[in-house]
Amino acid sequence: MIDFLTSRGFKIFFALFIAALLITAPFYLRNFGLYLIAMWLVISVAALGLNLTLGYAGQVSMAQGAFVGIGAYVTGLMTLAGVPWPVAFLCSGLLCFVIGWVLGYPALRVQHHYLAFVTLAFSTLVFLLMRNEEWLTKGIYGLTDVPRPILFGWNTGKAFDFYFFVLGVVTLLSLGVWWIIRSPWGRAFVALRENPVRALSLGVDTRRYTLMAFAMGSAIGGFAGALYAPLVQFFEPNSFALPLSLNLLLMVIVGGGGTFFGPFIGAATAVLLPEWLRIAQGYYLIIYAIVVMVLMLFCPTGIMGLGDRFISHFRQKRISAERAEKAKDMSQQEGK
Amino acid sequence: MITTQLNRKTFLLASALLAGGLGLGLQAAQAADPLYLPNVVELSGPGAVSGTNWRDGIILAVEEINAKGGILGRKIELENLDTQSDAGISRAQMQKVLDKNPYVVLGPVFSGSVLVDMALTSQAEVPEIMGGEAAAITQKGSKYIFRTAFGQQSSIPKLANYFRDGLKAKTVAVVWVNNDFGKGGRDNFIKEMAARDIKVVADISTESGQADFSADVVKVKGANADAIFVYTNEEESARFLKEARKQGIKTPLIGETTLLGQKVIDLAGDAANGVKGHVGLSADAPIPAVQEFAKKFKARFNYVNDHNGIKGYIAVYMIKAVTEKTGKFDSKLFASTLHGMTIKPEQEPGILMEATWDANGDIDRASFLAEIVDNKQKIVEILPKLNK
Repeated sequence: MIDFLTSRGFKIFFALFIAALLITAPFYLRNFGLYLIAMWLVISVAALGLNLTLGYAGQVSMAQGAFVGIGAYVTGLMTLAGVPWPVAFLCSGLLCFVIGWVLGYPALRVQHHYLAFVTLAFSTLVFLLMRNEEWLTKGIYGLTDVPRPILFGWNTGKAFDFYFFVLGVVTLLSLGVWWIIRSPWGRAFVALRENPVRALSLGVDTRRYTLMAFAMGSAIGGFAGALYAPLVQFFEPNSFALPLSLNLLLMVIVGGGGTFFGPFIGAATAVLLPEWLRIAQGYYLIIYAIVVMVLMLFCPTGIMGLGDRFISHFRQKRISAERAEKAKDMSQQEGK
Repeated sequence: MITTQLNRKTFLLASALLAGGLGLGLQAAQAADPLYLPNVVELSGPGAVSGTNWRDGIILAVEEINAKGGILGRKIELENLDTQSDAGISRAQMQKVLDKNPYVVLGPVFSGSVLVDMALTSQAEVPEIMGGEAAAITQKGSKYIFRTAFGQQSSIPKLANYFRDGLKAKTVAVVWVNNDFGKGGRDNFIKEMAARDIKVVADISTESGQADFSADVVKVKGANADAIFVYTNEEESARFLKEARKQGIKTPLIGETTLLGQKVIDLAGDAANGVKGHVGLSADAPIPAVQEFAKKFKARFNYVNDHNGIKGYIAVYMIKAVTEKTGKFDSKLFASTLHGMTIKPEQEPGILMEATWDANGDIDRASFLAEIVDNKQKIVEILPKLNK
């Protein structure tokens, strides 16, 4: 059973099953369902970026929400000014890459919770800029009527079309992240997290890779923002304040940092779970908080870690059983 | 032959009766169908105080209406959905209820959330009766948005007159919360002050959820104004008042509805005494229907309501009055009927006070000048409707 679950065939089957589910979803969901799944996909991308910084490179960032905000504002302002969405999308990622690179410099000097404080300050700074610089961001009232893209004559204005648009872009971004993780960069990020001194002695330029991890994670956050803007169409600075960054951090940790699918599962926990728990009426947030706390208590490595533990537990059990069987056979043979 | 004719007649008669019966049956079934009424509102987060009052006012009205047989024979089926005081979640919840093709939707109370949601209700052509007071809401051109309380563009001029005529102030300090509600109020206030030649000597922005107001009070004190206008949400208002009393501020503290609200009085205690201002709606209004409502509310929920409780209550009675006038459940007809309509308590007692809605969905109604005396709101003067 365990062999089957971890086999390549099953993994491909599972991936195809999820893909089929996502493709057929619009045919049996109404606007709200589509909106919710699209939101899950977009937030997953933001968490994917943070996973690169936190999960793989081990740098605690509390600024991912701010990068989503920068991406959303860049795309929102540009598309409202008539710039095509793909251009705005690239600009959002590029700007976040540059800012992430610059923000990465303190990361070279401080570690862990000190770094968290630096990024927290940055997050607050971005919020204040969005709120107070009215000439640019329209202040507290935010941006309204952000248009949905028209690509090669395909108008993604309706929920149905926009869902497929988001699905397509998120698939491409996910493949990109998949490639980064498996590339020498990804390996270097892990080395950075596990043992920076050893990584340095092996010739990994830790300075460059720390900056790269920050910049790439931030750029992916910016791309998520570029999708967020046309999805919600109306947003204000509060949407990107500290709670979003904390939520993204929670998603990566709950899903399982340092695993590719962790952010998707984490985002599902944060976006979809509270919605399903609404049947509990006034208690839904309390139940949600308890679920997350229990999960962290029993499974600090996140849901993906739980799966790994489950599989290795059974594997271990089977190996022990096989060993015991062999020992029994041997003792029987010796007895003869 | 006769038999055939008779048979044909009998058949036609039977068919007609059957069809009629079915039709009546269908009509009866439709009439007996519950009326789905969603309420998307702040039940957790910073807006929970206002949202809970709004929801409970709605529950009270729905229970009353259902006990009397519902609206046009249809009982109301209320669904409350929490926005967590977050505009994004509010938008998602509004989308969710609009998927169920409601007749009318209620909420939210936070202006920022209303501004996000109203585009959806306008697109879906479903009337939205909400509690937001930001001026911008009714300036967006939606034909489906309706207020239950004054917008800032109506309430702030009434208050500004009080600064000029009642207080005879020449200088004023403004303390406001930097969110869409506070910013809208502050912008309108500054404009109205300029129109009355009153100088704004301090313009102090505070944060939503702010706990410590000592630095802000020091700044206000230093400005030495004739009066101080405080425009923040409930909990922040109470904290500001406590700090102002602690630092011995004697300058009149003036507010608009929220500052004189029941929640602020409960939280600030004696520090709220002496606060004056304009109140759009009040449980202490010297109007028997409003006082009767306050008693019912207290008996049902065991706490004293604030203006949001009244707003929620009349929102449901607005639906009842309009639907009974049109005689059917037609969303578009509802919106067009309510524009320019006046509902009087003689026609619909649940409306509590006579109110008129204009073409933008703004409300016009009598309002009050009030003062906090011995931890209670005391109405000093009733201000008539603007267009009377």
